[in-house]
Amino acid sequence: MPKVRLDGMLSEFVRRRTVESEATSVDGLIDELEGDFPRLRHRLRDETRTLRPFVRVYVNGQDIATLRGAQTPLAAGDSVEILHSIQGG
Amino acid sequence: MVEKNAVHVLVGTRKGAYILDGDRARKKWKVRGPYHEGRDVFQIIADPRHPGVVYSTANSAWWGPMMYRSKDWGKKWTAISVPQMPKGPRPPPTGEGGMPKYPVENVWQIAPGREDEPNSLLAGIDPASLWRSDNNGEDWVGVPGLNDHPTRKEWNPGAGGLCLHTILRDPSQPKRLYVGISAAGGFRSDDDGEHWRPVNHGVKIGFLPDGDREYGQCLHKLALEPTDPSTIYRQDHDGIYISRDRGDNWKRVGKSLESDFGFVVATAPGAPHGAFFVPLRGETRTTWGGQLQVFRWNDTRRSWAQVVPKGLFPGDHGTHRDALATDRLTPAGVYLGTTAGRLYWSASNGKKWDMVPYQFPAIQSVTVSSPMG
Repeated sequence: MPKVRLDGMLSEFVRRRTVESEATSVDGLIDELEGDFPRLRHRLRDETRTLRPFVRVYVNGQDIATLRGAQTPLAAGDSVEILHSIQGG
Repeated sequence: MVEKNAVHVLVGTRKGAYILDGDRARKKWKVRGPYHEGRDVFQIIADPRHPGVVYSTANSAWWGPMMYRSKDWGKKWTAISVPQMPKGPRPPPTGEGGMPKYPVENVWQIAPGREDEPNSLLAGIDPASLWRSDNNGEDWVGVPGLNDHPTRKEWNPGAGGLCLHTILRDPSQPKRLYVGISAAGGFRSDDDGEHWRPVNHGVKIGFLPDGDREYGQCLHKLALEPTDPSTIYRQDHDGIYISRDRGDNWKRVGKSLESDFGFVVATAPGAPHGAFFVPLRGETRTTWGGQLQVFRWNDTRRSWAQVVPKGLFPGDHGTHRDALATDRLTPAGVYLGTTAGRLYWSASNGKKWDMVPYQFPAIQSVTVSSPMG
């Protein structure tokens, strides 16, 4: 069962910092999070299911942009981190 | 303070929203906020049909656009729905169906609906489209007469995106609506949004080849004459114009100014027969002359006057398109927010001016809730 760590920036939408998931892909994980925490809907992904530009997802320490993006598979024991690279002025 | 005498100035900034509480004397203000801290608040506006109810549009490069409602003058906020672009085939390469083609970039404008439809709202967004809610923003439906207008394929984005940034309702004909789109121009509906037509005849487009074009103008803001809403004042990318026939024809009146580029225009019932503008130098988007300048077009004399005393606020001032507002009192209050986060106001039809002693982030919008008269 993948373990997911959510960064503190998400505390407005999700009160928890860690969750366990049964999702088998990053896309599925975000679906699951949006189902469990409805306020998260459209905050990580826009309405076209595209990850928002400043959202970074790492699976076992690797940026999913270098893997299979949102289709990156997840397996039991994987660690997932959802972070925000807040930038700009 | 007795609420019936209260004046609230609602300020949207790049980093959150503020509400200034004062009274009809308009001598001093208590500043509250920021609300939606860190969000780019394009608009915060009171609903005159429901005292205490305030709506805001809070955009964010990180979280996307959000909208909120407060029922207690901004002390507590509840998120409401955001319009969603229509679903259709997903763009390549995935080819999946059932997804919107485009995400909503920003929510620009929210406008309370008709008096006899107390739960109705209109919203203007980027990608340029108009939306209607009949349940205080819980659900939104697009306005197809405008959103699917045959001219749409030729609408082009301005620097702020392809946005619908202005929504006005004619108080004398509640089914008559105007919207402003950058860069598509002005559109009017005479049947509460069922059908729309461009209303830009006579407005120059400096960035397209010569010719009188029906649409494609980069309209920045519109304001209706309080004594006769068939007269409309218009700040366009390419000048300041007036229409006396509900937008059917426009005449440029800003040519005698050093520059008639600008973003804002506002009218006030307490200062009828004219409009306030803040013309800017086109190249710098700042006032000329090294000082704050607010000009008033006197539509009776058909002449211009600079209403801020010379040298009162030295510097090079910029404004965003929603940052000039007026109240409904007499004499009129005029309120101007700048891109440098300063809020100037006059409680005397623009004759005397003062500055709120608070450094705001860059100001996006100013609206005012006040009693009438």
